[in-house]
Amino acid sequence: MTLLKREEWQHLVRDVDWTYSYVDDEAVYPEWLSGTGKVPRAAWRTWEEDYKVSYPEYVSTQREKETAAYAVKAALQRSNAFDELSEGWKSSTKMHYGGVALVEFEAVLGELKMARFGLNPAWRNMAAFGALDEIRHAQITMFFGHEFVGRDPQYDWTQKMFHTNDWVAISLRSLFDSMMVTNNVVDLAIQLPLTFETGFTNLQFVALSADALESGDVNFANMISSIQTDEARHAQQGGPTLEILVEHDPVRAQWVIDKAFWGSARAFAALTGPAMDYYTPVEHRKQSYREFMEEWIIDQFIRTIEDYGLRRPWFWDEFMKGLDTWHHALHMGLWFWRPTIWWRPTAAVTKADREWLQEKYPNWEAVYGDKWDVIIDAVNAGNVEATLPETLPWLCSLCHLPCCNATLGRDGRWRVRDHSLTHNGVTYHFCTNGCRQIWWKDKDTLNSPTVIDRFLAGEIQPMDVGGILNYMGLTPDVMGDDPDYAWAAEYRDRVTTTPLQVAGGAQA
Amino acid sequence: MNNAVGPVFRMGDEVELVVAAIEDDNPDTEIEVTDRGAYVRVEAPDRLRVTQESLRRHLGPTFEIRQLQTMLSAFSGRISTTSEEIVWEWGAGRRERLARTGGEA
Repeated sequence: MTLLKREEWQHLVRDVDWTYSYVDDEAVYPEWLSGTGKVPRAAWRTWEEDYKVSYPEYVSTQREKETAAYAVKAALQRSNAFDELSEGWKSSTKMHYGGVALVEFEAVLGELKMARFGLNPAWRNMAAFGALDEIRHAQITMFFGHEFVGRDPQYDWTQKMFHTNDWVAISLRSLFDSMMVTNNVVDLAIQLPLTFETGFTNLQFVALSADALESGDVNFANMISSIQTDEARHAQQGGPTLEILVEHDPVRAQWVIDKAFWGSARAFAALTGPAMDYYTPVEHRKQSYREFMEEWIIDQFIRTIEDYGLRRPWFWDEFMKGLDTWHHALHMGLWFWRPTIWWRPTAAVTKADREWLQEKYPNWEAVYGDKWDVIIDAVNAGNVEATLPETLPWLCSLCHLPCCNATLGRDGRWRVRDHSLTHNGVTYHFCTNGCRQIWWKDKDTLNSPTVIDRFLAGEIQPMDVGGILNYMGLTPDVMGDDPDYAWAAEYRDRVTTTPLQVAGGAQA
Repeated sequence: MNNAVGPVFRMGDEVELVVAAIEDDNPDTEIEVTDRGAYVRVEAPDRLRVTQESLRRHLGPTFEIRQLQTMLSAFSGRISTTSEEIVWEWGAGRRERLARTGGEA
């Protein structure tokens, strides 16, 4: 029997749209959810996806993907592969599981919103497949992470993390709620499928798989790259939506992309940056974070948005300069505030590491070398306590990440600058100009106090490190520590840092 | 490479065969293959295609073009998918091609 080809019948079953007689269109597709804005309702009739799939094809293909991913897992479960992974690499995976598992679930909700309120039946059809994809991703991530709970309680944060008030959880909820929950579906299709999924997730799910495989984690490499094959398809909801929006409201299209790009860039600097340039052992690093960003974001994503007639975002210079600083500072912060995270961050500043960092980032020693030297000297003096936090860093009111980005001043010195603004009598502080600008434009829709705001408001008691860790949900068996301070020993003979001289001759 | 388009395949036993099929389908095209271990990036300037016919020649007579989806982790350019072929190209190139062929994908 000869079957009809998909393209001979798909439009008949997919394009199920009709004129309502009992209610008006606005009742079915309310503006606050469907978000057509300046785009005439009729313009959505031309929406057409590029990457087509029918339900029978979907089921067969997904079954093959699942079978392959679980077969690798089953084969490796009986080996000692996990025990041979480095602590650094394991940290990359713990960060991934905790940071990603429930974001995948949030994406189910985002896809379902498009499946209901999308303004064209082909779009709603594709979003329904997207929701099925994201259910798969939430489940596979949870299941693969859960396997290790018995061996290491930090993996329990795969499921737990997103429900806590850990500062990372607050930061990620703030970003992803704005990308998937609080917006209308037009903005959602441009923020999530287009900017996030054809841009940034490639970094964490495809580029990082190269480091995973080099590090010997076949199982993880296999899982994340399998997930991304779904993303490659459902991310294509972004293109046709963008094409229509650009035609009728290019200013909105550019703003929505810019905002989602910036938020994603900040989050990936905190998560993917340290995983690639520090936690992956130096001998296994396939490329630097900057090089992967150049391959996937600078070249590939920017070429994509230019293809739709848009420009590079307004903050391009600040973003490009940040590729050399953001994730290095955030890595140092994650290490220093290690009791607040659910993995064991390797410092990864051995002599071999620093040689690699300096080669990849020619300003690395000038900006970060002396700070790590202070830590190294404290560790070698047996004074690990001096390298542990007594308070919190200032957190940015937009991205909720520490304000720690050094920039080069006209005087040739690197400094962390305060970017602030005062609104209704309250002064807000930001890590970058980009965060400040986005906050200002979106200020009426933002309501997510940082951990610092909560601390100062007296919500966190007692007001000390113990109280903060308790508020964040961290228990002693989970809170992070350097897995092995012996890395500092090779610096034992170095001339130690001169204690800081302060006025009056006393030493601080 | 200017205006590079093309697929990124995840690791797997069949990637080399798929690349061979792509090479058959794009004669006289400069194709660049970047192997990063866990993924392989295949690129050509402006346009790249792969057909079910070539895939079957290299991967066996029962191979269905939809199965390529299990390997396709990402791609650059815009994609068009039919039961016979997959094409990657940029928007401007596609508009020209559609105008030339009267809308046939």
